[in-house]
Amino acid sequence: MSAGKVAASDEGELPPEPTGFWRRWVFSLDHKVIGRQFLFLGLAFLAVGGLMAMLIRWQLASPGVPVPVVGKLLFGPSGGVISPVAYTALFTMHGTIMIFFAVTPILIGGFGNFCLPLLVGARDMAFPRLNMASFWTMFAATAVLTASFFVPLGPPEAGWTAYATLSTAIGAPGPGQTLWVVAIYLNGASSVMGAVNYITTVLRLRAPGMTYLRLPLTVWGFFLTSILNALFVPVLAAAMVLLFFDRVLGTQFFVAGTTPGAGGDPILYQHLFWLFGHPEVYILILPAWGIVGDLLAFFARKPVFGYRVTVGALVGVVVLSCVVYGHHMFTTGMSPLLGESFMLLTMIISVPTSLIVLSWLGTVWRGAIRFPTPMLFCLGLVFTFGVGGLTGLYLADITADLYLHDTYFVVGHFHLIMAAALLMSLFAATYFWFPKMFGRMMNEPLGKLHFWLTFVPLNVVFFGMLAIGYQGMQRRLYDPSVYDFLKPLLPWNRAVSHAAYLLGAAQLVFVVNFFWSLARGPRAAANPWEVGTLEWTVPSPPPHHNFDRIPIVVRGPHELGHPAARALGRDWLSQTELEGDTPPPRAPTEEPA
Amino acid sequence: MTSPATTARRREVDARIDARVGLVVFLGATAMLFAALLLAYAIVRAQAPAWPPAGAPPFPRGAAAANTLALVAASIALRRGRPRAALAFGAAFLAAQGALWRHLVAIHLGPAAGALGEVFFALSVLHALHVAGGLLALAWAGPARRGLLTLYWDFVLVLWLVVYLAVCVL
Repeated sequence: MSAGKVAASDEGELPPEPTGFWRRWVFSLDHKVIGRQFLFLGLAFLAVGGLMAMLIRWQLASPGVPVPVVGKLLFGPSGGVISPVAYTALFTMHGTIMIFFAVTPILIGGFGNFCLPLLVGARDMAFPRLNMASFWTMFAATAVLTASFFVPLGPPEAGWTAYATLSTAIGAPGPGQTLWVVAIYLNGASSVMGAVNYITTVLRLRAPGMTYLRLPLTVWGFFLTSILNALFVPVLAAAMVLLFFDRVLGTQFFVAGTTPGAGGDPILYQHLFWLFGHPEVYILILPAWGIVGDLLAFFARKPVFGYRVTVGALVGVVVLSCVVYGHHMFTTGMSPLLGESFMLLTMIISVPTSLIVLSWLGTVWRGAIRFPTPMLFCLGLVFTFGVGGLTGLYLADITADLYLHDTYFVVGHFHLIMAAALLMSLFAATYFWFPKMFGRMMNEPLGKLHFWLTFVPLNVVFFGMLAIGYQGMQRRLYDPSVYDFLKPLLPWNRAVSHAAYLLGAAQLVFVVNFFWSLARGPRAAANPWEVGTLEWTVPSPPPHHNFDRIPIVVRGPHELGHPAARALGRDWLSQTELEGDTPPPRAPTEEPA
Repeated sequence: MTSPATTARRREVDARIDARVGLVVFLGATAMLFAALLLAYAIVRAQAPAWPPAGAPPFPRGAAAANTLALVAASIALRRGRPRAALAFGAAFLAAQGALWRHLVAIHLGPAAGALGEVFFALSVLHALHVAGGLLALAWAGPARRGLLTLYWDFVLVLWLVVYLAVCVL
């Protein structure tokens, strides 16, 4: 390969590679192995959470009909029919698993771990042992959560938000809810460990020349997410501590009016939960925005449109995300003045968000677009996030929210963002970094099939939910067909469910592609996508120490369509490539007239 | 071209700064945990018809203040380079807190006995867990990592002073 001049600094001897099985694959300190561990854990729970969604949809499409195939096994006592208790447990665990145990480990734990050191030009995270502890704490959390299925009175049934008093000893006397609280606490501990590591890594371990404004947007996404994690996951932890005390030690923080003198308040739980819960939305979406921002530029073969503005907008979203949580609580009887403040702040957040979307559109505008699978998923995100974000404006408006609150409109809205956009981004990330992670390419035709079979039903499902919610169907209903005014919606629910089954089945294409490519995929070159960020300057998969020599960064991450690259016979420059030393010879035909 | 010795030395300094940055981020997270708990306390207290709640026995402020001394002593010992003494003082603080909790339960200020007790228990138990974490770190690291340990112990001391002021004095 006729590479340009590559700069690098010498950093002394390399860290030794562990040889034993346990040190290498199980209790590894290598961020690349830990990232893969998080990825596999998260994908396994994504499958579990997805199957739960299928069961929920079955109940809504065919209420009271025994579940085919697995019904007798899962719901034996009720003759294969999903009972109200089982249904409640299903949507509780579906939400919990998807948010805390699927998307968080895949996106932040998996890709965050794998990408961050490689993209900033470091040999590993700042604290490899803490990194390992972060994974195993997450693993312990999943074990505790799984245990809650097997205790007397069964798994938790208070919804993923675990509102008091559904979640206090009055509403949930069994140990399942207590285990849920412990699992969420451990999950949060894992996130904070990760945040400490990611923040320190970005602040301290950037390669020479990697200034903040030369960071790929992916790194910005993970960095800002980590800041929110460090600040707001502890608030959730505080809610969990108090809920745990209420359940175990008999305090009454969230229990009102049972003991004279005890000033408990169920709404207090909501404040603590959403103080965390709204930043959590951005904790999950920021890495997705970062990844998509980078990938759109890579496949449009153009620099990011308005890189500095985009970074500023990301920071703006982070700041605003701290002061909007009250929009989840418009119906709790809060002061109208407070409500209007939250409404205004929530609507203001659409300004930086629009700038980010504008940057995406400007990036692909008149680009020399290539359409491999990761690009398709990125464009899919632009669409689903756009619609999801716009529906958010309805819910931010108090008067509209009073009607739409707790309907399927809300479910459709947050699924378009938390499910659709996040799934799009994590599939894009998987198809994009799979070659770097595992050294093999994924199958393109199967990937494209997977995209279309995911994108179309996904939108039918969540647009359908918006429509159903707008017509008045509340969320968390066990059997909407018992209400006269909801009976006409049964065909709608059936259509959504059928699209959901298709969506679920389509994921088999991904599973097959993933494992087949893992074993048999063609070997990946070091830089199959022809882009310039640092992870593509090393072999696929990278060696244990990532970089033989710590690279010296001389340019930004999106030097695509760079005139100086033409002399090298390509349209991109790596972040480490110098071009000033040897003026590139130009063919006369390339000169403008 | 730098010599290997210079490189090694620079790496050591770098690692020390990394560790400090990491610890500061972690302490920021811990501060948010306690800020959220204090917010809960503020809301509980603001909604109570009277504070201290009617019928609650007076809080034994003196005993809690005396426990503070053990924590102050631990911080000073660490600053003077006496990690073992700090370990002893820290353990003494935990033992004294344990005795205080037993006493509070006995005089009907336990976690289940009303708003004052529940608030104090939530804050002080969580604080004690952080002190216990500090003890483990102290026992693990011994005389090494003095700068980090001092920072951490000063932090748990300030945390306790805030808790004490907020719950016992104000």
